[in-house]
Amino acid sequence: MNLTNLLRQVSLRHIKYQKAQTLLALAGISLGVAAIVSIAIVNKSVLRSFEESFQNATGRAALQVTGAQSGFPEEILDKVRSVAGVEYAVPVVETDGLLAAGKERSIMILGVDVLTDGQIRSYSLAQENADIPDPLLFLARPDSILITRAMAEREGIVIDQKIRVETVLGTRTFRVRGILNPEGPAKVMGGNLAVMDIYAAQMAFGKEGRIDRVDISLMKGEELEAVRGRIRAAIPQGYTVETPAGRTRQIEGMLSKFQTGLNLISIFAIVVGMYLIYNAVSISIVQRRKEIGILRALGVTRGEIMRLFLAETLVISIVASLLGVAIGILFAGSIVGVLGKIVSIWYARTAVTGISVSWLHPVTGIACGIAASLAAAIFPVLAGSRISPISAIRSAPWSEEGFFTGKRLNRAALFFILLAASVYALYRFAGFSPLLRSSGFLFSSQIFFLLGLSLVTPAFLRGFLTLFHRLLAYRLGSTGMLAGLNLGKNINRNAVAVAAIFFGISVFVNSAGFVYSIKSSVTIWLDAVVRADIIVSDGHPSSSTNAQTIPMPVDIWRDIEKVPGVRSADPWRKLYMDYKGKRVLLSSVDMVRRGEYSHFMVVQGREQELRRLLPNKDNVVVSEPFAEQFGVKPGDFITIPTPSGPVRCGVVAVVVDYLYDSGTICMDINTFQRHWGDRLADHFSVRVKPGEDISRVKDAIQRQLGTDRKLYVLPVREFKEEIRKAMDQTFVFNYALSIITMTIAGFGIIITLLASVLERTREIGILRSIGMLRWQVSAVVLLESLLMGTAGGILGCVAGILTGRLTLEGARYSSAVEYFIPAGTIVWALFMAAGLAAVAGIYPAHRAAKTNVVEALTYE
Amino acid sequence: MIEIKNAGKTYRQGTSEIHALRNVSLGIDRGEFLSIMGPSGSGKSTLLNLIGGLDQPTSGEIFIDGRALHGISDDELTLIRRRRIGFIFQFFNLLPILTAAENVALPLLLDGTPFSRLKSKAVTLLEQVGLGARTEHRPEQLSGGEMQRVAIARALITDPAVLLADEPTGNLDSHTSEDIFILLANLNKKGQTIVMVTHDPKAAAYGTRIITLKDGVLSGDSSHAMEGR
Repeated sequence: MNLTNLLRQVSLRHIKYQKAQTLLALAGISLGVAAIVSIAIVNKSVLRSFEESFQNATGRAALQVTGAQSGFPEEILDKVRSVAGVEYAVPVVETDGLLAAGKERSIMILGVDVLTDGQIRSYSLAQENADIPDPLLFLARPDSILITRAMAEREGIVIDQKIRVETVLGTRTFRVRGILNPEGPAKVMGGNLAVMDIYAAQMAFGKEGRIDRVDISLMKGEELEAVRGRIRAAIPQGYTVETPAGRTRQIEGMLSKFQTGLNLISIFAIVVGMYLIYNAVSISIVQRRKEIGILRALGVTRGEIMRLFLAETLVISIVASLLGVAIGILFAGSIVGVLGKIVSIWYARTAVTGISVSWLHPVTGIACGIAASLAAAIFPVLAGSRISPISAIRSAPWSEEGFFTGKRLNRAALFFILLAASVYALYRFAGFSPLLRSSGFLFSSQIFFLLGLSLVTPAFLRGFLTLFHRLLAYRLGSTGMLAGLNLGKNINRNAVAVAAIFFGISVFVNSAGFVYSIKSSVTIWLDAVVRADIIVSDGHPSSSTNAQTIPMPVDIWRDIEKVPGVRSADPWRKLYMDYKGKRVLLSSVDMVRRGEYSHFMVVQGREQELRRLLPNKDNVVVSEPFAEQFGVKPGDFITIPTPSGPVRCGVVAVVVDYLYDSGTICMDINTFQRHWGDRLADHFSVRVKPGEDISRVKDAIQRQLGTDRKLYVLPVREFKEEIRKAMDQTFVFNYALSIITMTIAGFGIIITLLASVLERTREIGILRSIGMLRWQVSAVVLLESLLMGTAGGILGCVAGILTGRLTLEGARYSSAVEYFIPAGTIVWALFMAAGLAAVAGIYPAHRAAKTNVVEALTYE
Repeated sequence: MIEIKNAGKTYRQGTSEIHALRNVSLGIDRGEFLSIMGPSGSGKSTLLNLIGGLDQPTSGEIFIDGRALHGISDDELTLIRRRRIGFIFQFFNLLPILTAAENVALPLLLDGTPFSRLKSKAVTLLEQVGLGARTEHRPEQLSGGEMQRVAIARALITDPAVLLADEPTGNLDSHTSEDIFILLANLNKKGQTIVMVTHDPKAAAYGTRIITLKDGVLSGDSSHAMEGR
């Protein structure tokens, strides 16, 4: 029989009559695909925005020389210029400022050489500057600044207007000499950019004699690698000579752990969608059993039956995936800004203005949707193809166990759980094998474990219902009795809906446990490390880990100590630097002053040694991710690139440090100042005298020092609270994906209950005929739903705790990160599972209550 | 006891209207065993559904013990079904997930009485219908005759004002059917009002009164004495 004919004549009609079922299956797969596509797009878009920023900011430059974040001596520029093959080499000072107009806005300020920069970058001035022959020349005056058209329009700034910008030396006033068209550098950071003369910028930002970057163009016909080699040879070690694309790759590497995590969670959504498809196809086969029998009697082969149902699934999955791709792109558009903000807070500053969709996104989404749907449909379809024509036509009893008989289920469950254990063991003992020791590999063990556990769901549900029957059912009267018995009737099918809920809840608890453990561990670490009473910084507290603060002159600590009530103040300076091609954080504190009241959480080495060997010596401590990444242990030496050349430092200890998950090097601030020539600080930790009122001292600091610059003066408790808030923001995607997963699981419950209500039409008719009220019918269905949700919730919480441990281990933040069971979330998850299931049950319950008694009694 | 005044029932099928029942007026006394006869489509099941409150008349009025069944809410009608009427169906209509005793107790379970307090009554009723040894069996483990006896016991558990039977033996062999009729006749002798729909004259003869319907209209009404058998 022709498959197309069957599809057209039979399948289409079923889709028409089973609209709700089809739509829910479609919606489930769509959401799963949307989750995968949107996460992939926003991840890509963030990287793309970095790439565009680099391209726009670098213009014609083929290579860039960068050093430490605090800049390096200008002499390097002359060395680069003298290298054969270098056409132009121009210096750049790149820094952050806060535009103090209306809503405070963080901007990037480029300081460029007005005479030579035009060789690398092209600037186009807006028409209102028509009388200015060369825009850059006008920057020669120290208070001149150019801003972008986007910024001018947004802030209502016009030419010749004075603007106030927060700099390391306090608030400074500049005059806008021109408006840049959105071309080249003016497109960087979504237009939040200003251009100054390099010398003015050096003065304004405390970088006299230092530059941040050299942008280089090559002479025609020169080999890039050859010139790069010559430049490397001409300048001291410790500088990075990179192409703009290479810098993008660096960022990619830096974000990889975070972005991989998001990609992996989005896979959960499609897996839950598979449960939905499995159930929808199973139900369809049960409902169309007679039809299958008739078709088989009329000469349709088993293979054709299989192909028919798989083709139906294929059609639904194609439509769902296309829809999912469209929803995913829409989602991505609305959440890309949030991801950009998170990346800006924790990694590197970016302004994502739009999404970047490549052909790979829809193709991946559609492939995932179709593959997941067909894989989920294959087992029920196999079972359907085995329906014998006679049993179906005679309505003989047919086991709904289908393909998965009890024995097969148990065997499959055991197989997957053993597989999960083996994968975990391989991960654990794989040493540094990059493939086996990856979070993706560990993630596969989570998926196998959850699959194995979901195959145990029928047995779990049976046990749960027996318990319910014994303890509670009769106390709930006829409703309790009937609900429990009904669920027990189609245990396998109901177990699939329970498994979907269990999966959704496990993802939620997994995420919550992971987040809670990180937060708790960070809190413990913060309590150990941050022991001051007040934190003074020039930026929002959440920027303690990023590059957005505007550093302050380090000597301010002396002024702070003069404030009445202050016992001591000591600085903290942090900056990012390249170490062996990777971006790491350099953190420096005054070891002597800080050591009086605060300590490190030492993992390897001894704290006494650390206090002795760090102050003003070329020794460092490193964080665990750094030690693991570069294979470093106490007693080793590392060569750190500094503006004054490479410095060989001894590693005294490995410590817990959550500041930066790619690795931190910590040294004494005096050592830092000696090698970097940097006299700035990002924070000051302030202790108040015993008996002094912290808030009074805080106000006094604000009053005395906050006149010339915007200062954030926060009691340490508020400071920590702000850090926690910023962390919550980081995990907003984990929560959002959990909600999507739970929604799909909810659809699974609706499909199951609708089918169950339809099959029980006659039973409901009987109950109504002997006096069951409509609300009692509804109550039975709702209770069934509630029971499924609760069973799934309990199993999901158990699974979520176990997989949460694995997620935490896969993230490999630190050996000090302990797993904390998120007790509050578990209670909440159980309520959510039951509540969501109850909500999902409302429509089926309503349908059941509306059953017409007379028609139901004649229903076959 | 049961009063039907000009009851009519019209169904819509596509664009056309079907008059299942037209202006039927009928009174049924307490203790009567009324057999309703008529060919297929004559409206006998429709009439039974109206008396049992499973359906509402399109026109006319129906009263049980002076209480109107027409024009009342679905919940009120349902409670009347639960407490005042016992149903026996052709296809037994037992719940497969419940045991015989639980099926019998079901109407009172719906009223909130715990099963522990109902079990002895359900078992007694099952004993009365000859199923004392089958109380814990599920419907699938019972024969057709046994299932119908469970259905009769279920119909009796609320001490209903009237027992309504719709072709109660339509799915049973002749020997089992006779047992069921005898059981019904005995119940009637004890004072139970019964209304039974059948197309079989032999079955109808168990009743104390027979009415005949044709094309939805009452076409005959005569009383019979049991001694006629």
